[in-house]
Amino acid sequence: MDAEAAKELGKLLGAGLSMGLGAVGPGVGLGIMIGKALESIARQPEVAGDVRTNMFIGIGVTEAVALYAFVVALILIFVA
Amino acid sequence: MKHPWRWIVGLLVLAFLILLAVLPGGAKEEFEVASEFQREVLIKLPSIGPFDMSVTKTVAYLWISVAIVVVIAIIVSRTLKVHPGRFQYSMEVIYELARDGIVGSVMKSGKATWFPYIGGVFVFILVSNLVGLFPLPFGEHHQVATANLNVTLMLAFFTFVFTHYAGVRKNGAVHYMRAWAPAGAPPVLKQMIWFIHVVSEIFRLVSLSVRLFANMVAGHAIFAVFFAMALIFQSYLVGLALQGASVLIYMFELFVAFIQAFIFAILSAVYIGGALDQDH
Repeated sequence: MDAEAAKELGKLLGAGLSMGLGAVGPGVGLGIMIGKALESIARQPEVAGDVRTNMFIGIGVTEAVALYAFVVALILIFVA
Repeated sequence: MKHPWRWIVGLLVLAFLILLAVLPGGAKEEFEVASEFQREVLIKLPSIGPFDMSVTKTVAYLWISVAIVVVIAIIVSRTLKVHPGRFQYSMEVIYELARDGIVGSVMKSGKATWFPYIGGVFVFILVSNLVGLFPLPFGEHHQVATANLNVTLMLAFFTFVFTHYAGVRKNGAVHYMRAWAPAGAPPVLKQMIWFIHVVSEIFRLVSLSVRLFANMVAGHAIFAVFFAMALIFQSYLVGLALQGASVLIYMFELFVAFIQAFIFAILSAVYIGGALDQDH
């Protein structure tokens, strides 16, 4: 394999791995968080509004981690 | 058998799908997903200093969303009635969501001062995300205002500046910055915590802008990949299935457009509220 092809292979492989592995952690985190939020809403329906607002803040913060991986993948493919 | 028609219609649909699968696709077309990210100049203008003033499609989307926000705001504020009509009522729902759902539920003090900024950011991002779901009739590529890091970084920069402006104005510069480290910690640890806090303040800028940017880019990239797959596979069956799937993705994108505007506004409110009422 020549150097050019190896570089291309490394880029694409790295992009795919970064998106795939980067989605694992936030996926688990979002699942735990939304599950807990639903649990607490089911236990105490009168605080549903408060819990939902805080859940969305948490979703935003957690989901950003997966999106960093997405941006890294885009940079690997199109810029690097 | 009670309904023989059902079976006949089902068999016809099956035969149609098989025909679609067997039928050769349309003309071979080249599609580069990478070209969707290239800036495309609509009107060439001379650059002032280091700034290129040319009008790109992103700028067109930005102007359209600004125009929509301004026109709606003027119409609503000029035609306020005691008994609201359908239009005024729906605008009131958005206003109440921004006032009670975002600012009221997060901030403790300074609600009246900072509601205009946070509500304005919410409405502007919501409108420009929703406008971005409509393709414009000119230009080749689809470049939405909020799917551009320059736009989102500027919005995040406003939140960053206003956060520290609010904190310094309320608490005084020295007291504000001293509160970044806990008061009871030993000196070396205190300096380290203070430094980490400064880094985290700067990373808020990155996370706030990249979150909105990446969400919008990811949504449009999914559309681009779906339509590209129909061209790559050259099959009417795949094209039909992907059209159906992209309608579902489109509905999800409507939800994402709202949620991202909400999250941007609520995180702005959290940051500004945290600078106003420092807890340690």
